[in-house]
Amino acid sequence: MSRNNETNKLTRKELWSIYFRQIFIRSALNFERHQAMGFANSMIPVIRKYYDTKEEQAEALKRHMELFLTQPMVSAIPVGIAAAMEERYATKKDIEPESINAVKTALMGPLAALGDSLINGTLRPLLAGFGIALAMKGSIAGPLIFLIGMTIITLGVRYYGVFKGYEGGAKMVEDLHKSGLISKLSELSAVAAYVVIGGFIPQIVNMKTTIEYTAGEAVINLQETLDGLIPGILPLGITILMYYLLTRKKASPILLMVLVMLFGVVGVYLNILG
Amino acid sequence: MFIEALLVALWVTWAIIDEQTFQFQTTRPLVTGMAVGLILGDLKTGLLVGATVELMFLATVFVGTAVPPDPTVSCAIATAFAIMTGKGTDIAVATALPVALIGQVVTTLQLSIVNVFFIHRGDRYASEANFKKLTLMNTLPLLLNLLFYGLPTFLAVYYGPTYVTPYIEMIPDKIIQGFAVGGGMIGAVGFALLLNSIQATHLWPYFLIGFIVSAYLGINILGIGLIAVALVTLHSYYTEGKDNTKAESNF
Repeated sequence: MSRNNETNKLTRKELWSIYFRQIFIRSALNFERHQAMGFANSMIPVIRKYYDTKEEQAEALKRHMELFLTQPMVSAIPVGIAAAMEERYATKKDIEPESINAVKTALMGPLAALGDSLINGTLRPLLAGFGIALAMKGSIAGPLIFLIGMTIITLGVRYYGVFKGYEGGAKMVEDLHKSGLISKLSELSAVAAYVVIGGFIPQIVNMKTTIEYTAGEAVINLQETLDGLIPGILPLGITILMYYLLTRKKASPILLMVLVMLFGVVGVYLNILG
Repeated sequence: MFIEALLVALWVTWAIIDEQTFQFQTTRPLVTGMAVGLILGDLKTGLLVGATVELMFLATVFVGTAVPPDPTVSCAIATAFAIMTGKGTDIAVATALPVALIGQVVTTLQLSIVNVFFIHRGDRYASEANFKKLTLMNTLPLLLNLLFYGLPTFLAVYYGPTYVTPYIEMIPDKIIQGFAVGGGMIGAVGFALLLNSIQATHLWPYFLIGFIVSAYLGINILGIGLIAVALVTLHSYYTEGKDNTKAESNF
């Protein structure tokens, strides 16, 4: 039984309640269904408003207890869209309830790719790199600028997701797919992430050799020779080696970290790294 | 010392809760190092250790379902050790990795066992349409962070330096130096992980451009960000109206 309230949209207050709940989307993250309970919890204001009987409410909650996983900040977009779809299903009954989960599932992958490239691959490393440079000089402004920047990003992305996602509703998904907007944004984020990662490697990964060899009379420092040919070749080389071991050899990142640490110790003892 | 250790433990607990909710990034070594430095009255060392550990774990973040080594507890304990033993950043690097690995095991247990228990309870409350209990099940795991991360941090900071300092004295300088060298290179693993998370691999030439402007021209981090903006805009301009299915098929 749905209420006779076709024009009864969610109020700003109810949307803020969803916004606040969305922040807890991964507070009970688990390896069985990931952010499922956080998603169901975000839907409570909608379900409470549009479903009257316990049976209908339980059915709607269970619908959102299905597996869900994407980048936590951008997960606000499917939360907003699902809120609009639940409202429409409850008040007009002109969409299938299954389509709500279908839309969520369809958005998971593309949004994860977008969020990871844009936030983890580009914005966060950039702000952190800037912060590190200042902190190394002993300035507290480094961590503070990083913190303020990230606070704006996380709160802003979530606001956009919940409010715009709700406004756009299911139509937004259609529009996003028709215009190829998500894949376009993912591609642009990948461009930015590649530039930033490529640019960071020679400055952030610190690897220098102390090997010296004699050519005739002169003692030649291998690092200086390398710097003359391709500066940053060692940081680049070790990163590509790690990428190769990670992707082709399926090595665990932990194992690689321990090996790199040991390599550092061995390198110092053999007098080839410093 | 009791109060300081308690405050560091509370900060770590908050930072982990932040990571699981708001994501203001107080969990990052850069911020946690600063906080622990302030608590222990040595901001300068806190900033330095925070920046150094951040360099190690800069690119090591939670992507998909792969739990990364824990950067928060490790940075807090590393900063505390650096300040309290008076040994500075080198000892911090040597401390950070092992603690990060233990932290990762704890996180994995939390996500694979403890929180699975909570979602099963959540299922029951969902089928009863019990909103309050469902919210409780979704929120309670946050409190457990006090036990999983706060308590070990407290014990390590309160008892650690006294017990650990004599052993630290015994470690040969070359090993400490080796850890510092290893810590400098460890960022490579994080960047490899980030590269692996990018799905549009056909765009790899941009990686090369980023590397070249940085390594050959020595443009700083902010400059690299500006170049990224320029290239994104150009890429957008030149691919306008073109079919994007190639990128989409990667998903």
